Amino acid sequence: MLSDDEAAELLSFLTPTTRPDVKGRATEYILGLSGHRDGCRFLCSKPDVISALLVLTSDPSIAIVKDCFHVLINLSADETLHQVLVDKVKVLPVLLKNLVDPDYVFSDQICTILSNLSRHEKTCWTVFKVLQEQLGVAQLVEIFCTEGYNQRAKLHYLGPLLSNLTQLPEARNYLLDPDRCVVQRLLPFTQYQASVVRRGGVIGTLRNCCFDHRHHEWLLSDAVDILPFLLLPLAGPEELSDEENEGLPVDLQYLPEDKKREEDPDVRKMLLETLLLVKTSTLQSEHVLLLSSSLSVSSPADGHQSWPTDAEGQERLSHHEGVPPLGEGRPRRCELREAGPGSDRRRTGSRDGEPDGGGDT
Amino acid sequence: MAQSDSDDGMDEFMDRFKSQRYKNAFTENDWEQEFNKIPMFMKTAPEEIDPQKYPELACLQSIIHDEDRPPEEQAKCLKDEGNAFFKEKNYEKAVVSYSAGLKKKCGDQELNTVLFTNRAAAHFYLGNMRSALNDAAAAKKIKPDHLKALIRGAQCCIELRNFPDALQWCDEALKAHPTDKKLLELRATADKHKRAAERDTRKAKVKEKKLHGQKEALLAAIKDRGVKLFQSVEPRQHSSDSEEEEEERSSAAIAQLSLDGLNSQEVTGAQVFLDNQGLLHWPVLFLYPEHQQSDFISAFCENNCFVDHLAIMFEELPPWDTDRKYLPQNLQLFFEDVEKEKLYQVDPEMSLLKALQHKSSGGL
Repeated sequence: MLSDDEAAELLSFLTPTTRPDVKGRATEYILGLSGHRDGCRFLCSKPDVISALLVLTSDPSIAIVKDCFHVLINLSADETLHQVLVDKVKVLPVLLKNLVDPDYVFSDQICTILSNLSRHEKTCWTVFKVLQEQLGVAQLVEIFCTEGYNQRAKLHYLGPLLSNLTQLPEARNYLLDPDRCVVQRLLPFTQYQASVVRRGGVIGTLRNCCFDHRHHEWLLSDAVDILPFLLLPLAGPEELSDEENEGLPVDLQYLPEDKKREEDPDVRKMLLETLLLVKTSTLQSEHVLLLSSSLSVSSPADGHQSWPTDAEGQERLSHHEGVPPLGEGRPRRCELREAGPGSDRRRTGSRDGEPDGGGDT
Repeated sequence: MAQSDSDDGMDEFMDRFKSQRYKNAFTENDWEQEFNKIPMFMKTAPEEIDPQKYPELACLQSIIHDEDRPPEEQAKCLKDEGNAFFKEKNYEKAVVSYSAGLKKKCGDQELNTVLFTNRAAAHFYLGNMRSALNDAAAAKKIKPDHLKALIRGAQCCIELRNFPDALQWCDEALKAHPTDKKLLELRATADKHKRAAERDTRKAKVKEKKLHGQKEALLAAIKDRGVKLFQSVEPRQHSSDSEEEEEERSSAAIAQLSLDGLNSQEVTGAQVFLDNQGLLHWPVLFLYPEHQQSDFISAFCENNCFVDHLAIMFEELPPWDTDRKYLPQNLQLFFEDVEKEKLYQVDPEMSLLKALQHKSSGGL
């Protein structure tokens, strides 16, 4: 690792007024450092360097800005470094300010960093607090749900961010505010085909929200009507008779032949978990038709033949699927982690990022 | 009479009232009507103000609508006038007033917003949804967060059954007024209707597909049996929508099969159909040229023979058979080839299917 003098020299190259080629070399070097754990640890022992990088995210050279963001992404993937990033370097205000800007080119990178930072509860709290100060959960949802908010960034990783935030009860309260229209905006995205990250993030968010039983009645009422949006991804193209159709919720009636079931097993699992959390007495026998076929797809080994309508059956199912029994357990945070290019970091999450998010632009 | 003489003749003057009425006095009969003519005591205003009959009212009107006053004032007066009409549920007049107010083009944008919004409301209650929507949009343009206009716009969209737009109005409105109960309610309603409308589209599509499938199966069944269909000469007028063409071709083919093209008297709309066992049933017309009579069997199963039907039809001789000769065993059956104008004899023992498959039949 670099000596203190070398580090100081490196720092001196990282000012906005440095010659572009020197700047570029310096950031490239740091990017390489951030590719492995020791390099990251070292960087975090020099918070000034990271602060300098943060400043350089406003640099006119796109290549330099890109590198800076990739460094930040790599750093944020390591939980032990979160404190430094959030408390010492104070990345959050700058990141959030740029996120809101609809023309900001690197918003996707920001989303990735934020979703990494919010994975663990402690830093999640900090993220949430700063978020509330600067824009608020409602506005975050607004940005996420507005098609084409940012022409240069897809903002799919706001999905996992929201999912992570909802591990906190306070965040859930904002999302589930009955005097506003917040969670309702998310519902259509349970079917969003173009991005499994976005879709999974939304479903994870809904799953976490359903942990609070007090909200169930409201969630199931017409004001939100969450049930069809949870069932729809699990419904298939089966041809049903008119009577069978009429017995289903409106959104599940007369589905076309090309209707596809949710293919990602993790997302399917989250949907089933959410359905279990919600009062299952609302599921009628017509829903059993839909769900039994989807269950046999997702867990053939378990030999489930039909959706259990009795409480005991549901208990068994919830244990099989690894869901905490009703009323217990904590909302799970999103399992996504992202690391930038030039890294051979091990990924501990259960899912890798999508090609269109994180990493390369 | 001793006190009667006064200096100014006041007493005589007063005395005269005991016997004489003053000019233009109200009588006991017409005092109510007369009172009603005086602006101050009017219970209701007349629809039209005729300066001859109601000079005072006409005067007041001209004061109110005095062209010399600044446009803002005039517009405000017109707004108030419109509101008054609105309260009385006289929506047409309200629209007129609001429109006049807007025509003043006064610089007060707040006022103009209200004029548009109120006119939108008047149109809404008149059932003029498009006009109402346009006015709401105009109000929104001036003041994008004007709550009443936003609510009205959403309501109009819902009435016009344009639920996606209604949803958009609601969402835009909620940005400025995130907790407004009416908006939240409207949004939930619009969303529900939108999803119901989507379901209706899906349902129609499924039904159409099913119908199409049935038609195709029918045509295939007919073709398989080697039965030729008579092609009608008249060209059919269809829109050139490419998706519908295929549908229309099979529809056209099926339409040929309905009897109303052949015999105008038997427009029953009966059609050939395929039953659950895969058998075709045809509508069959029996003509008796000798007596100008006919019999119609709407669903003749292809496997049935003519004799079976004839036996039932002529079990009791028909009333028009005056010679009593139409006994089943005496009947001869002929099938007409319209194109070639030939008659072919049909053996009554034959099934309908066999008859239809007759090689020389140029078509039905």
